[in-house]
Amino acid sequence: MDLTALAGCLGSTACAVTQITTGLIIGTLLFLVASGLSLIFGVLGVINFAHGAFYMLGAYFAYAAYVATESFVLAFLAGAGGMAIFGVLFETLFLRRIYGRDVLMQLLLCYAFVLILDDVVKIVWGAEYKMMGLPQVFAVPPYFILGGPVPAYYAFMIAAAVVVGVALWFAIAKTRFGKVVRAAAINPQMVGALGINTTLLYAGVFALGSMLAGAAGAFAAPVRALTPGMGLSILIESFIVTVIGGMGSIVGAFVAALLIGFLRAFGSIGFPLFVDGLMFLMMALVLVLKPSGLFGKQV
Amino acid sequence: MRGRSFLRDLVIALVGLAVLAFIPYFHGGPALRDFMIYVIAYGMLAMSLNLLIGFTGLVSFGHAAYFASGAYIFGIVMQRTGASLPLAFVIAVGSTALLALVIGAICVRLKEIYFAFITLAFQMMIHAIILTWVPLTGGDQGLMGGIPRPPFLGIRLSDPYTFYLTCCILFVACLFLLRQITESPFGYTLRMIRDNPERALFLGVNVFRAKLIAFVLAGTVASVGGIMLALFASGAYPDFAFWTTSGEAIFMIMLGGSQVFLGPLLGAAILHTLEHYVTIYAEHYGLVLGIVILIAVLGLRRGIADFVLEAWRNRRAAAGREAADDAAARREA
Amino acid sequence: MLRIENLSKNFGGVVAMKNVSLHFPQGSLTAVIGPNGAGKTTFFNLISGHIRADSGRVIFDGEDVAGRSSLEIVRRGMCRAFQIAKIFPEMTLEESLTAAVASRRGESLKLFGRFPGTAARERAREIMELVGLSHRAGALSRNLSHGEQKLLDIALALALDPKVLLLDEPTAGMGVEERWKMIDRVYTLWQAERTTLIFIEHDMDIVFKIAQTVRVLKYGTVLAEGTPDEIRRNQEVIDAYLGTDHGGEAA
Repeated sequence: MDLTALAGCLGSTACAVTQITTGLIIGTLLFLVASGLSLIFGVLGVINFAHGAFYMLGAYFAYAAYVATESFVLAFLAGAGGMAIFGVLFETLFLRRIYGRDVLMQLLLCYAFVLILDDVVKIVWGAEYKMMGLPQVFAVPPYFILGGPVPAYYAFMIAAAVVVGVALWFAIAKTRFGKVVRAAAINPQMVGALGINTTLLYAGVFALGSMLAGAAGAFAAPVRALTPGMGLSILIESFIVTVIGGMGSIVGAFVAALLIGFLRAFGSIGFPLFVDGLMFLMMALVLVLKPSGLFGKQV
Repeated sequence: MRGRSFLRDLVIALVGLAVLAFIPYFHGGPALRDFMIYVIAYGMLAMSLNLLIGFTGLVSFGHAAYFASGAYIFGIVMQRTGASLPLAFVIAVGSTALLALVIGAICVRLKEIYFAFITLAFQMMIHAIILTWVPLTGGDQGLMGGIPRPPFLGIRLSDPYTFYLTCCILFVACLFLLRQITESPFGYTLRMIRDNPERALFLGVNVFRAKLIAFVLAGTVASVGGIMLALFASGAYPDFAFWTTSGEAIFMIMLGGSQVFLGPLLGAAILHTLEHYVTIYAEHYGLVLGIVILIAVLGLRRGIADFVLEAWRNRRAAAGREAADDAAARREA
Repeated sequence: MLRIENLSKNFGGVVAMKNVSLHFPQGSLTAVIGPNGAGKTTFFNLISGHIRADSGRVIFDGEDVAGRSSLEIVRRGMCRAFQIAKIFPEMTLEESLTAAVASRRGESLKLFGRFPGTAARERAREIMELVGLSHRAGALSRNLSHGEQKLLDIALALALDPKVLLLDEPTAGMGVEERWKMIDRVYTLWQAERTTLIFIEHDMDIVFKIAQTVRVLKYGTVLAEGTPDEIRRNQEVIDAYLGTDHGGEAA
């Protein structure tokens, strides 16, 4: 426990800016992964335990595309688009077969994929750490805000995540697709009764959720070391975000992701060993006081 | 009827114990014995968790917390106080029961997925405490320095076979206890809660209290498994309390079957056997295990023992229908 | 046995029950009828403690139980069966009933001793005999037919030896013939158990055939009460029914 260090950092703008940037980066990645998880749970009622593995696979897809083409745009498309396709295949070929079965069976299926994907990545790309490296465009000196350095790629990532977030919010709140998604989250039977093709809806929502995880992986690839199993910790943190924000709520996922991001960034200075403990404490408190989450519908 | 089924369980338990006790004689080396202790310790974890999952419908994601609590408290008491083995055992089991009571009182109020998440949260808090409280727990290095096995009542656990046999006796005793609980009126109250908690309430069942009792019982039995593992490994590790350990226990249950009493044990045995052989012959354990789970999930769509039970029930029902048809045919003729 | 005084309940400004006062004497057989949305199920939910009333008293067996938990009310002897049968799908019929009897006997938290105890099993068999389900004792509840599940739901409530038995549409979702069988069964049960029985029903013919008294609810208030003959001739009731979709069903 080193609270003086934490106070010292908060006292210096440079340090504070650095930590805020770090918090935002963690938060934006978490938001992308958690919003997909939340969306899939809201509509399909499935806890996609493989969501962290999807994030990992997205990062590796981006890495492979970047190595092959040296284009960051293509790398991003490979990560996000590749995972959207993967998500559809996963839903139609596997998950769909066990709808209406024990929820734990779905969980087991997802877990099987975690194991398989981790090993497949190991076989294809090797078990050792991989670095994608920063694309050429971003190899510029960092911006300085109040004396704190903010790397150009970080600024880009935060901006991009905000764009994705707004687009997602718009899609859910303002479009016909979004209306169906919201209706499905509240009352699945009603959607079927309204003559909406739930098969298509489920595949679409699963694709969207997987695409978000893939996009997060692609964004993370230039600044994170790639390794099989890298999805595990982000999966657990996404659960926390989903619970705190409220399952099925995009706004909730956004707020909670930033909360966890800042907690990680500043907690790592003040109480590095107990950051995880604090995150879970927050989760438990929310569950006890308001089980539906900060922004969730009352159940 | 009552006396007979109790007697039957007792005979099965004793035969099981005899088989376990003789297993090391078939195979000289320590490998099989060590393997068995692993299966027993994790089997305890899975079997106790199934009291919640299979019998009460409470999917706990944080059951390993009590496994770890048993291991750590036992290890710390043995290392620091020089207490006798049975005393340390009682302290570890008792403290874990208390811990489960406090956490359970908060958790069992929540339903379904929220229950799963809050049990996960408490487990991870305990994991974080283990990592943070380095002077007591050794942090991420685990509880180092070995756990002594002083003799008690003339029993020397430092002898590997004695240790193995003690584990077997404890194991069979705990399973026998669990079996008596699941077959008691309380066990059937738990089944009512699993199937329809609201109806159970409207039949005068104190659902909260029943769930809490099940939660504490399950945590207490899990702690015995943790103590065995701590003694065997001569230490305790933060991984015991990590969510993957709870996850593994759930997968043992799902693989083996949750509706047949010994299903989770079957799952534990299969999982550890797979791990053992695959890691010897192949590099990619995860891939093989994943595919096996995939086949089980998509092919059987339920745990292996549950699948067999269902098949047997269907056959019996079909036979019953046939017999009825035959009888009807005879009447007509 | 059961006296309701000025029972009221609002759901976010919408009046669900307004100043309802009713009396159900010991051993009576009463039907509660009313058009859809009249508040019949809400009435059951309120007196059984499932929903808390805003005001009013529920005098049950000499004591006001309004505001008590449903667990306590059940244990005092007010039991109910549901419109959609609430049963235990993965337990056999006999197991479910025996477990309910065990609960009645205060054994639901008994950790030692085998299930089923001899006494509990005997009582469960009696009830199965009474409702005519003995031949299905070993069947999983989820494999029972719709009508059998409704019967099981009622049997579960009977297992508690209720002083007041509330049946929410015992004939819901049944064919014509099955309905009459069911209602005969309910009548036999009432005669055999001598309990105070209140049931909700849509079908007028059924109501008029077996009920001693009929209470008509409309928009959360008591529209009329009386013997079947009185209700049949009550102009307000006729208007209420003809004025809704249920006119046809009631005819």
